[in-house]
Amino acid sequence: MSGRGHALGFALAGAALACLSHPDIAAAIVAALGEPPRKPVGLQRLSRLAGDHLLLALAGLAIVAVLGVGIGILATRTGSVPIRRSIDSLAAFAQAIPPVVVVALALPVLGFGGPPTLLALVAYGIMPVLRGTVGALESVPADAREAGHAIGLSGAQLMLQVELPLAAPGILETLRTALILAIATVAVGALAGASTLGTPIIAGLQNQAVLPLMQGTCATAALAFLCDGLMLGLADLVRRRAATRP
Amino acid sequence: MRRAAISSRPATRAAVGVGLAATLIIALVALPLLGMAPNRLAAAVPSYRSGAIGTVVRFVMGFGAIGLFILAVSRQRMSAAVALLSLWAALVMLVVGLGDGARDLAAGRPAATRVSLASGAWLAMLLLASGIGWAIQVCRLRRLGAVVALVAAACLAAAGKGALFDHLSIAIELQARRGEVTTAILQHLALAGSALGLGLVLAVMLSSWSRGQALVGAVAGGIQVVPAVALLGALVALTSSLLTAVPALREMGLSALGPGPAIVGIAAYLLLPLWRGLATGLRTADGAVIDAAKALGLSHAQILLQVRLPLGSPLLIGALRVAAVQSLSLATLCALVGAGGLGRIVFDGMAQFAPDLILLGALPIIGLSLCAETLLGSIEARARAWCPA
Repeated sequence: MSGRGHALGFALAGAALACLSHPDIAAAIVAALGEPPRKPVGLQRLSRLAGDHLLLALAGLAIVAVLGVGIGILATRTGSVPIRRSIDSLAAFAQAIPPVVVVALALPVLGFGGPPTLLALVAYGIMPVLRGTVGALESVPADAREAGHAIGLSGAQLMLQVELPLAAPGILETLRTALILAIATVAVGALAGASTLGTPIIAGLQNQAVLPLMQGTCATAALAFLCDGLMLGLADLVRRRAATRP
Repeated sequence: MRRAAISSRPATRAAVGVGLAATLIIALVALPLLGMAPNRLAAAVPSYRSGAIGTVVRFVMGFGAIGLFILAVSRQRMSAAVALLSLWAALVMLVVGLGDGARDLAAGRPAATRVSLASGAWLAMLLLASGIGWAIQVCRLRRLGAVVALVAAACLAAAGKGALFDHLSIAIELQARRGEVTTAILQHLALAGSALGLGLVLAVMLSSWSRGQALVGAVAGGIQVVPAVALLGALVALTSSLLTAVPALREMGLSALGPGPAIVGIAAYLLLPLWRGLATGLRTADGAVIDAAKALGLSHAQILLQVRLPLGSPLLIGALRVAAVQSLSLATLCALVGAGGLGRIVFDGMAQFAPDLILLGALPIIGLSLCAETLLGSIEARARAWCPA
């Protein structure tokens, strides 16, 4: 499948799921399945939850992107291979701690609400982004770097005009994964009292209420698919522009 | 291709070592080591270097900083061994000091008083442990890491038996819930293990369906995008509706909450790493090798077992490692759908706002994941050394 097709498919899946989470549609489906009728999550509240969810995820992504890409650039400046290996093993270890556990551990320190979720986002997301950035920068062909040197580019110019543009598709790919991870972690953050689309899911599970459970589920998945589709489309655009660059 | 002389390596190492040492000193000086609360749910009042712990901290700082400085300046095996001993001494003194300090703080106070480890203690222990890990790497001795881990576990168990930690809140919590924690660990392993098994069976079945590989890839990739909380919720909603529609299923023992949907949910996430690992692993053997095997008269099954599997084993074990760690991690969330496991202890702790209860669930989860990661990682490294892909 082409990148554009992939992006479109995910965006369509997201749109379909978003429709399913609409109070009237969800209520009709749940009623058709024979579940006892319950009060659905209203459209206004659902969109506010979605907005909060997206805001928290994007805030986390912004921190992770600045720190991860920044440290990644610094780490590759030293020109040492072993750094890559230590980053890889550090990332593997950081990955071994589930985000729920980070949220839970941060709860007594930071209190209920957004902050523990944001901390979990950063703690969990930074190593994959760092690893991806280092990988993308290291895959820049040495020829390109040497050519840049030969025409007299300074270190910073080389970075901005040669390495970053060549590594952009790889970095964008890591950021896409990080965004999906962020959306999943923010959903878990509902457990720590953050107002997100995970909130109706948790409430639905606790009260055995299928309607809010289904609405929350569909809306969370819709958000993830829409964001993934958007990032895939963006990556496709960048790749195309890189290919047509003279 | 790469510049041969890596001039900045020693500089990087020195920076890391000095940075760790500085952080260690800051953690011990500026952050609270213990906290005291009138009961297990109240907020703890931080306590710095009061009483017995004050003198110990100076030694911990000295030995810890010396060990880290040695690692910063030298890559010799002998000096790494000295650093290892120094850091080990610092860690032991810190742990003993914390136990003693907790006893001092609790002395003469009501029995409900809880003394818990505070941020400085956790950070210092983490830094010393990572320093020890670094020293072990520099020592380059086989199995040194496993030996040190076993010795540490034995020391901790002995100290616990010897009543060293009797006044630390987390030890009291563990004492009260020992049975519950053991059951939760077993449940957690059972959940993660069954999900891994189910995922493996599904991945093998799907990768043998040669026509549908594009579809399998798209679906397995799509599942990864769905947040775990949402997928678990969807499975519960689906099972619940199914049970309402066909009540006979309920009599057959199917239920919307419990390990069933949890295992299916985890297995769905493991599908992508396992399926991808199988596909790339079995493709490792190149055409010439397969042709040679055919010329030798090996059957299709023999080629699979004697050529493709051994050659692909590093990739296969790598996929298994990723899937196992993910499985253990996802099993935590399954307490949300009533499947039990260590997640239940964590969620209980969150509901009660009891930090020590959260830790009691969280520490075994981290421990299990790290064990799976290191164990399968070392098997993977051995497979790679045995037959480089």
